[in-house]
Amino acid sequence: MDSKLTSIFALFPNKQRDDLIPMLHKIQDEFGFLSEEFIIDVGKYLNISINKIYGVATFYDNFRFGPKGKFHIRLCHGTACHVAGASTILAELEKYLRISAGETDKNGLFSLEVVSCIGACGLAPLIEINDEYYTNLTLDSLKSVLDNYRENHNSIYEEQ
Amino acid sequence: MSFTIQVNNSPLEVHQGETLLNALRRNGIKIPTLCHMSGFTPSGACRLCVVEIEGKKDLITSCSYPVEEGMAVKTNSLRVISARKSLVEMLLSNHPDDCLYCERNGNCELQWLAEEMNITERKYFSQKNSHKRDHSSTSVYRDPAKCILCNRCVRVCEEVQLVTAIEFIYRGNKTTVNSAFNKGLNVSSCINCGQCIMVCPTGALVDIPHTEKVQSAITGKKKFPVAMISPAFVSAVAEHLGLKPADNPWGLIVAALKKAGFKKVIDMGWASDLNIRLEAQHLLKRLEDKAPEPMLSSCCPAWIQYAEEFVPHMIPDIATAKSPQQLMGRMLKNEDYGLQDVAPENIFTVSFSVCTANKFEASREENTRKGISEVDAIITVREFLKLMRSYGLDIRRIEPDSFDKPFSESSTASLQTVYSGGKAEAVAQQLNHLLNGNKSAMLKFTPPKNPGGRKEVKVKIGKHEVGFAWVSGIADVQKYFDDLKAEKRTDIHYVEVMACSGGCAGGGGQPIHWQPDKFRQRKKMAQEMEKSREARVAFENIQMETFINRHIVSEEQEKCLHTSFHKRDVLK
Repeated sequence: MDSKLTSIFALFPNKQRDDLIPMLHKIQDEFGFLSEEFIIDVGKYLNISINKIYGVATFYDNFRFGPKGKFHIRLCHGTACHVAGASTILAELEKYLRISAGETDKNGLFSLEVVSCIGACGLAPLIEINDEYYTNLTLDSLKSVLDNYRENHNSIYEEQ
Repeated sequence: MSFTIQVNNSPLEVHQGETLLNALRRNGIKIPTLCHMSGFTPSGACRLCVVEIEGKKDLITSCSYPVEEGMAVKTNSLRVISARKSLVEMLLSNHPDDCLYCERNGNCELQWLAEEMNITERKYFSQKNSHKRDHSSTSVYRDPAKCILCNRCVRVCEEVQLVTAIEFIYRGNKTTVNSAFNKGLNVSSCINCGQCIMVCPTGALVDIPHTEKVQSAITGKKKFPVAMISPAFVSAVAEHLGLKPADNPWGLIVAALKKAGFKKVIDMGWASDLNIRLEAQHLLKRLEDKAPEPMLSSCCPAWIQYAEEFVPHMIPDIATAKSPQQLMGRMLKNEDYGLQDVAPENIFTVSFSVCTANKFEASREENTRKGISEVDAIITVREFLKLMRSYGLDIRRIEPDSFDKPFSESSTASLQTVYSGGKAEAVAQQLNHLLNGNKSAMLKFTPPKNPGGRKEVKVKIGKHEVGFAWVSGIADVQKYFDDLKAEKRTDIHYVEVMACSGGCAGGGGQPIHWQPDKFRQRKKMAQEMEKSREARVAFENIQMETFINRHIVSEEQEKCLHTSFHKRDVLK
């Protein structure tokens, strides 16, 4: 077993059912996502059926089951963004990246997540890419942002 | 303590502490439900049981609301009726509506509700869910499109069977019942017991059907179809169709299957007797060796799978005898003594059983020989009743026929295996015979009368003081084993383990009928049928004894009556 995982387990010596969600959070913080192996290990440690754990983990949007892309795109789909056309932005994003929300593209460059509200309603619609915000989006401006990331991904990534 | 409440403007006597639903139903007032299962904690998920209570603004789910003194309830006001109707209409909003092609057509709770609520058109349209169907299991087929998320299968799997092979995955309108990582049931911890099928209100969970391959075998010319009828199957069919033992249900089923095209029909009770004989021999050996742990019965395939997945350390204590179904298949498909005029590879053995786990059992590698499976298909009671209908055969109006030799006789011991506790007694009687010889009187074996308590009987056989116990339903089984271990008991020597509550009488291949005490009626039927048989103990089945003494002589031949179990790695 991964030594990082063992040290996370060591934080929960009582092996209670209530430890499950905090434990999943810690694993996701450490590794970026919950892999099948991790879920199986958690099940063995807490003596909870992995079917149950998977049920709990899929209930919450926050948990991921695959690695994030190099650039993680969060699309705000709160009420204001929805009114301002977030659905159109989402459709365009999915078309451009050729993935659905919650997935990571094949070469691991982009991953897409839909979140409920980022709290910048005055700037709707907007996306966030690795803590950079792109606001008042139109289909054209979205495309140029994404094109820029796709062409210069190495230099942008190094800068960050 | 009892008091009176007002229901629909008339008084109703209720007991303190019971739920409103319970009180209403006990008094014959019909309240529709989908998620409710008696004996389980109420979940209040489907909300169909809503009623109006005077002084309360909202409608109340009666399944989870206790009765209160002075309450006034309306169960069929316009508000209640229209709320229920809307609920069913919403359940139907993403239903595939393919009732004509559904296994549960005519026997579906959702269909009944739609009819009862007078729903004649689709009121709400929502997106159908696109979760994949699961064909991966050997016994259970899942179609998530028909699932109404009532939670019944999930609860049975977790609370009664302790397996938790399925769980709600995702949230909101994406919710589905599935196993971890959306992988199939075949890699999950499912033990194929079929209890989820028994509680499913719709066609979301059904058998993996074997009907078509049986039909092509009995109509084609290449195969020699042989039907093997288990005692549990006979009693289940008799109970379902309201036959009496005097009507000769065995003979009627034989005759019907012969008409359908089976070349031979044999009595699997024969193999039950053999299985009892083998287990008694094994038990005697363990008593003489002073084995510290109790021996566990091996005839229930779902229990075997549970043991392999969850308690592999117990495998050495499980009897090695093959289950009756596999013994029968092995006997038939054998060059030396089976059906001598037919080559084993041409025989098509069909087991008629009340068990869905039998379908898995037949597919086990240990249960094949030279690439030929011992049992080719399993027909559950549900499949049988459909088969008979499609062949236009009414079992009740048929001239009875008799089983084919040399596998035509069985003792009442085989019928005892139908219900929990019977097998333990049958093994005790057989052991008594082994130790005290033919002339010994029947052993006095009186099951304790303690509803819900431990089922244990201690008898003195020869010089041995032997403790027999029986448990059914995996949750009870596991609890019993834990208790035995905690109390460091050494006085129990044989435990009869059945995965389904009530034994095979509550099996996963029985006709769909969610009544918690249905297995008692089937048990009663089996006990009535016992009275009509002569040979009361397995060893009194002279036909089986003679056959075994004549044909099973070498150690090699003895070996094919036994099997082995191994640890199973699954996602659990």
